[in-house]
Amino acid sequence: MTAEPAVVAPVLPAALRERIVAEFPKYPEKRAVLLSALHFVQDTFEGWIPQAVVPEVAALLGLKPIDVWEVIHFYAMFNSEPVGRCHLRVCTNLSCCLRGARGIMRRLEETLAVRPGEVTPDGNFSVGEVECLGSCGTAPVIQVNNERYREGLSEDDLPGLLDELRTRLAEQDAAKDEE
Amino acid sequence: MSDASTGQKFENPVTVTIDGRAIVAEKGDMLLQVALDNGIEIPHYCYHPKLSIDGSCRMCQVKTGAPKLAIACNTPVVDGMEVDTQSEDVAKARRGVMELLLINHPLDCPICDQAGECYLQDYSYGYGREEARTASPRRKGLKRHPIGPRVVFDQERCILCRRCVRFTNEISKTDELAVFGAGDHSHIGTAPGAPLDNAYSVNTADICPVGALLSSDFHHKRRVWFLEETQSVCPSCSKGCNVKLGMFKNEIQRLVPRRNDDVNETWMCDHGRLNYAFAQDETRARDAVVRGEAANGSSPVVSTDDALKEASAKIRATIDAHGANAVGILGSGALTNEEQYHLAALARDAVGTSNLDVIVPTGEADGFLIQAEKVANARGAREMGVSPGESGKDVAGMLAAAAAGEIKLLYVIGSNALAEAVEADALQAAMDNVDTLIVQDTNVGPWADKATIVLPGQVWAEKDGTFTNHQGRVQRVRRAMSPTEGSYCDGGLFTRLGALLGGKDPAGARFDARATLAEISEKVSGYEGMSFERLGSLGVVLGEAAPASAPAETEEGSAPAEPA
Ligand code: SF4
Ligand code: SF4
Ligand code: FES
Ligand code: FES
Repeated sequence: MTAEPAVVAPVLPAALRERIVAEFPKYPEKRAVLLSALHFVQDTFEGWIPQAVVPEVAALLGLKPIDVWEVIHFYAMFNSEPVGRCHLRVCTNLSCCLRGARGIMRRLEETLAVRPGEVTPDGNFSVGEVECLGSCGTAPVIQVNNERYREGLSEDDLPGLLDELRTRLAEQDAAKDEE
Repeated sequence: MSDASTGQKFENPVTVTIDGRAIVAEKGDMLLQVALDNGIEIPHYCYHPKLSIDGSCRMCQVKTGAPKLAIACNTPVVDGMEVDTQSEDVAKARRGVMELLLINHPLDCPICDQAGECYLQDYSYGYGREEARTASPRRKGLKRHPIGPRVVFDQERCILCRRCVRFTNEISKTDELAVFGAGDHSHIGTAPGAPLDNAYSVNTADICPVGALLSSDFHHKRRVWFLEETQSVCPSCSKGCNVKLGMFKNEIQRLVPRRNDDVNETWMCDHGRLNYAFAQDETRARDAVVRGEAANGSSPVVSTDDALKEASAKIRATIDAHGANAVGILGSGALTNEEQYHLAALARDAVGTSNLDVIVPTGEADGFLIQAEKVANARGAREMGVSPGESGKDVAGMLAAAAAGEIKLLYVIGSNALAEAVEADALQAAMDNVDTLIVQDTNVGPWADKATIVLPGQVWAEKDGTFTNHQGRVQRVRRAMSPTEGSYCDGGLFTRLGALLGGKDPAGARFDARATLAEISEKVSGYEGMSFERLGSLGVVLGEAAPASAPAETEEGSAPAEPA
């Protein structure tokens, strides 16, 4: 009755696989490497975790695919759908909501013309609601990609934040063009 | 030492006091189970006796003398423990848990199949508060979502007790379900491309304490309070899982498993659960048929009594012309022991043939519940004597002999089982060559269509009697459905046919399951002491019914042996 272990066609690039395996000695057991492994996957695949890699990551760490899915969905920092180059996570848990997170979320959706789960046509931005980021004292809080939190925000801070991010993306594009 | 009230024996007995009542229990057993075993209700959601402990719902909190309330499901009993399940702080904790569970609950009981057997409803009445104190909109989620081919999911109703998740981890071992997301966004889900689809998937609907997981087959079919339930066993393999048949207006609405730790624990397979349409759909063989010259021209449909007379005449003519061994009888593993007993007597005494055997359709077994014999009572059939007599032929032998022209008349009971039991070519060759084919079946099919005489049989749900499962456990089958007026059960057909062959009046040959079991208990080894009362609701293993062993259990839901 136990399901046969699925035969997994490799999709993880060799370098990524090696990077995950190199983590093994740091932890008492293989499965503890899962969080690092998922971060590495996101680094490699433009900020999200494609469905096809999950069985292979699971097999590598001696887990079942469903365990990996559970972890991907538990943590707000993992994305199972494509995201923009800047993915904005808005905390909408209690403290942040009491301090205006709903308005921030609405403003972002309007300004960028995206809903959670969508990406702007230029591929630059996406937004998502997340649970408590553990920074309630400085609510409301936004996290861009895996960077430092942007804390104590108001709706009025948003145009400045978006300008900053756009400038940064433009600089990155320019740097790429030079190469 | 044993507990006087339950007669249970303990290795390390401890005494705990629950609500002032001293209770003896096994050291280390969980308080919740001890309370339940002793008829003390402690409300609970996530705890299930056949799954690992989760401790997540907090509904089972009780006062144990510890500084805080403790969850009874994960508190081992120790000697001298004093437990209060009724104090004001316990009541307050339960009210609190109920309030949080209901904050996001859609309260769509009027359209929820679970209503009437829902723990959220029951505990809300028992332990909740009357009115909500919040007015904020409720969380929205998936409704009527096919989470697998046989299970519907309503995300809004889920209370995240994780029973279903643990079931797929620990019982079906298929790992389809998990909790996705965190906090307010937590929900039950499946991995992309891997729906809830295993041989036992609908059990998740049984153990879901609310209306979040539901059987697709039963979805919006019938309010549960309209169901009349009869305890019986599943007919679809030799495991004999204990079930309840939910009936409405003489139709089976659903089968649900019934706990029997020695057989199916508290589970059943999806195939067995959903394999009941044959009992009531248009494929049921309801009419007796006589074809060929005996049909007197017009309609081949005749009364069962006339068909029996014709069958008796054909058998008699075959015996007279070619000897009794020109008759071959292929029996069915779907019949009760009591019927099998009469079939064996018919073959041996009235016909005198030694060519008798039981057709056993076979398939895959899975090492858990599902057995290779796809019929409930093949073992009982053999033990009642439905097997080749002295130099008699088995099923394959009879088919070969029929193809070779040695057997002239085949009397087949349960002909539709042949397809899964024998090789197709051998079957066809036998059927093509035999002079007379008598088919006794519950459902129409290729061989009933071809038969000279068709005798309509009855399905298990229409009968009282016993089955013997693969382990040798004899279990009660109870009538849940009234049979078609004027029809006879298979046992009644055998007794009447036997009378006709013996030149007696068939009207005097009524079949009586209870009396037959009494006879079996005297004549068949291993069945000593068996009676409907003795079998009770959980059955008895062969050889263990000897009168001295245990007190008789009360007989429930029994129907008269046969309509007069
Ligand atoms: S679906 Fe039912 S069994 Fe599963 S977690 Fe939700 S309430 Fe519990
Ligand atoms: S395992 Fe066999 S007896 Fe049990 S439910 Fe399935 S078919 Fe019926
Ligand atoms: S509620 Fe937003 S950081 Fe805690
Ligand atoms: S039953 Fe004890 S915590 Fe759920």
